[in-house]
Amino acid sequence: MATRTVEVATGIPALAAERAVTWPKRTKARLSNGLEVILAEAHSIPKFHGELFFRSGNAAAAHRSPGLAEMTATVARTGTTKRASRQIEEDLRRIGADLSSGAGADTSAISFAGLSEFAEPLLGLVDELAREASFPEGEFERERRQKLEEVKLERTDPGFLASERLRKVLFGVHPYGQVSPSEEQVAAYKREDLQAVYREFYTPENGILLLVGDFDAQEMLKTAENVFGEWAGKKPDPKPTAAPANPRGRRVYLVHVPGAVQTQIVAGCHAITRKHPDWMKLGLTNSLYGGAFNSRLVMNIREDKGYTYSPRSGVNALRQHGFFSVSAAVRNDVVAASLAEIFYEMDRLRSVPVPVPELADAQNYLSGVFSMGLATQDGLLSQLSVVALNELPDNYLETYRQRVRALTPEDLLATARKYLDSANMQIVLVGDRSQIEEQAALFGELEIYDARGARLR
Amino acid sequence: MKRLQIGIENTKLANGLDVVIAPDSTAPVVTVGVYYKIGFRLEPQGRSGFAHLFEHMMFQGSANAPKMQHIKLVNSSGGMLNGSTSYDVTNYYEAVPSNALERILWLEADRMRALKVDDENLKNQRDVVKEEVRVNVMNQPYGGFPWLDMPPVAFRNWANAHNFYGDFADLDAADLRDVQAFFKSYYVPNNAVLLLLGDVKAEEGIALAGKYFGEIPAGPPPPFADPSEPEQKEERRGHVEEKFGTLPAMAIGYTIPPRRTTDWCAMALLDQALQGGRAGRIHRELVLEKQIAVEAGGGIDDLFGYNGPTQMTTRILHKPEYSSEATLEAFDHVIRDVRENGISSDELEQLKVKWRSDYYATLEGGRGGYMPKYGLMHLLACFTLFDNEPQLVNTILDGFLAVTRDEIEAAARKYLRNEKRAIVFRTPVKASAKEAA
Repeated sequence: MATRTVEVATGIPALAAERAVTWPKRTKARLSNGLEVILAEAHSIPKFHGELFFRSGNAAAAHRSPGLAEMTATVARTGTTKRASRQIEEDLRRIGADLSSGAGADTSAISFAGLSEFAEPLLGLVDELAREASFPEGEFERERRQKLEEVKLERTDPGFLASERLRKVLFGVHPYGQVSPSEEQVAAYKREDLQAVYREFYTPENGILLLVGDFDAQEMLKTAENVFGEWAGKKPDPKPTAAPANPRGRRVYLVHVPGAVQTQIVAGCHAITRKHPDWMKLGLTNSLYGGAFNSRLVMNIREDKGYTYSPRSGVNALRQHGFFSVSAAVRNDVVAASLAEIFYEMDRLRSVPVPVPELADAQNYLSGVFSMGLATQDGLLSQLSVVALNELPDNYLETYRQRVRALTPEDLLATARKYLDSANMQIVLVGDRSQIEEQAALFGELEIYDARGARLR
Repeated sequence: MKRLQIGIENTKLANGLDVVIAPDSTAPVVTVGVYYKIGFRLEPQGRSGFAHLFEHMMFQGSANAPKMQHIKLVNSSGGMLNGSTSYDVTNYYEAVPSNALERILWLEADRMRALKVDDENLKNQRDVVKEEVRVNVMNQPYGGFPWLDMPPVAFRNWANAHNFYGDFADLDAADLRDVQAFFKSYYVPNNAVLLLLGDVKAEEGIALAGKYFGEIPAGPPPPFADPSEPEQKEERRGHVEEKFGTLPAMAIGYTIPPRRTTDWCAMALLDQALQGGRAGRIHRELVLEKQIAVEAGGGIDDLFGYNGPTQMTTRILHKPEYSSEATLEAFDHVIRDVRENGISSDELEQLKVKWRSDYYATLEGGRGGYMPKYGLMHLLACFTLFDNEPQLVNTILDGFLAVTRDEIEAAARKYLRNEKRAIVFRTPVKASAKEAA
């Protein structure tokens, strides 16, 4: 709780009249092969940014092996029937382009940016990677061995260990419960499995192509038709997975890292998807709680108490489920004190309605920051991606401001009561057991693991 | 080839404050920056880490905007803010809906005029900074590698060689007198530039700059220690223990030519040839072809943003089955090849296209990804403070696009020499027994 009197500033200039935010026109089309195309012009620099998304990611490949969609995306950029790896990389440089490929829980994607003058060759390469990846044996072997080192290395990162354990606690055996494959699982990857995932996921019916940048939308649409028109393929069958149970009762999971000089705290619970009617309310509640620099939690445990450098909270949307999480890396002797404040601020939001001026500040913050997506090509691309992948209404961007401003203190009180329950938060602490075990045990039944995931207690 | 031309207006107020404006009304958003020409390189001896700690103090309260108000006023206006400390500059910046422009100028002027902080604020931010150092360095695998490990090995002048994040004893020793003295010396309008980018007209911006900053008195010219290095005549090596990570690592740094010389332009393209992503020679040879390393890359950090000795560095994490010497030999093979054979004209053409593309990307996004026009702001600030020429943002590209094969080869021979480099080995404590050097 704040122990310091908050003083107010004097002589602040008032805000001038707000300027209208005009989101650029989007050109939407569906090619005859089923590929959805969304374009928006943005002429800030003579470049463009793009994403070719597929609506299937690691969760949809989990029945084969965890992380397989990610591995498929990684190897897909290392060779096609026409170009070897080195040729691909040099061709990208020749046209001034950057390209990466990857997969999250729910999507696989080829992401790219390049000079507008070379749009056609860049799209041509993207098409080739999406249709004609050849998965060369040597490249697959190399990437697999590389991945083995990476999965070992990530077990030394406290942030990774914390988020990994939280996901396991929240989602259990559901594919969302495993964020990264084990060494044994990577060692067992087979090239044929990658090719099977590639054939199944990388199809135009399963894809969305988003392009934002310095081009004429109608001409770019023609280019996209020319480049991607020949491609064919069906949407994969959905694989339903049983809904994970929301853990009840607060428990503490300590991941023991000997010699850690700080403790990574993360606490979380189930929340909602992006399409849920409460999304905006929970977003605003989060922003007040710990989602902004000016939020209650940051002011409390950083600016008042100096426990931590970067506390934050967030609502994380996955396609089937979502989760809320709050995190802070704190010094070892204030783990219990930090948790007490983390839950105090949660309980306060559930007990006392947010004062109207504070709510107005948070509404201004969310709507202002949202509008900044307009100012850069990749900012706009990311806003359009959210709308497209979550099948949100076409006017989502245009109506955002008014929907944020319509929320009331009662809405937030009800939202906090519904979603932010300190009695049912799952707590993960990554740190040195000898320094924090007693503090950890104060907050619930305690389980202790090592960095490899073996139970110690 | 389409060239980007950015409209820029600039002026200097009577108190010496430079003002640079880059209007663009595409979005109703304005980015405001204030850069002070002081970074961690020239912070006071015995006070390592002070420039950065001081940066935190600039958010703790000024004459008319007490603690917590600065952050609150920016966020509640719909904007984001931050600050950062680097070698030779410290910046403070906000991106806000343009209707908040005057409020932001008032806030920045208030803290340029008078910092108002107490012991409690200092203790609070000292604690916060220690957690920042723990989360980024002491509790992270390969934390601070190589940006904190390299300087004490590579350099001899304290300015370039000390711990920029700060020894905890030095952070503890800092008191309020240090804070006010540093503020008085370096945070004067004649050592700063104000930048306005986005939804503001040039004449309006200049008038507002005068209105809010014009009355702040100039200070005496700030004292600057000499950052130059004695000539390096031998390869330097150092060793650091890696507490958490499992892979042996090394970093190699070559001191690069003075900025804005032909050699400097050639070196920047050479850097692109060597470590421009997956097409770069070092990654290609060590990671993709010989498969010795898991990670190999780096570059010249913030090419336009430093004003003293700096390096091109390469960071390598390699597989434990390869020794440090074998890994270094593979790296040296790449360096020898470019020293002996230069690069082909086809490769040079590729590099120039990529360079131009990357430069545009820097202008739009830059290092502060979430801040519109952060990169443009950063370049305009550095070109103003170091070169007194913000228009360089539109012309500096020419020097890079004019580099020849001969110039690249000459730069490779002159600068990629063992006696001009330093190497830091970072060896896992657990695996060190297996490491046969």
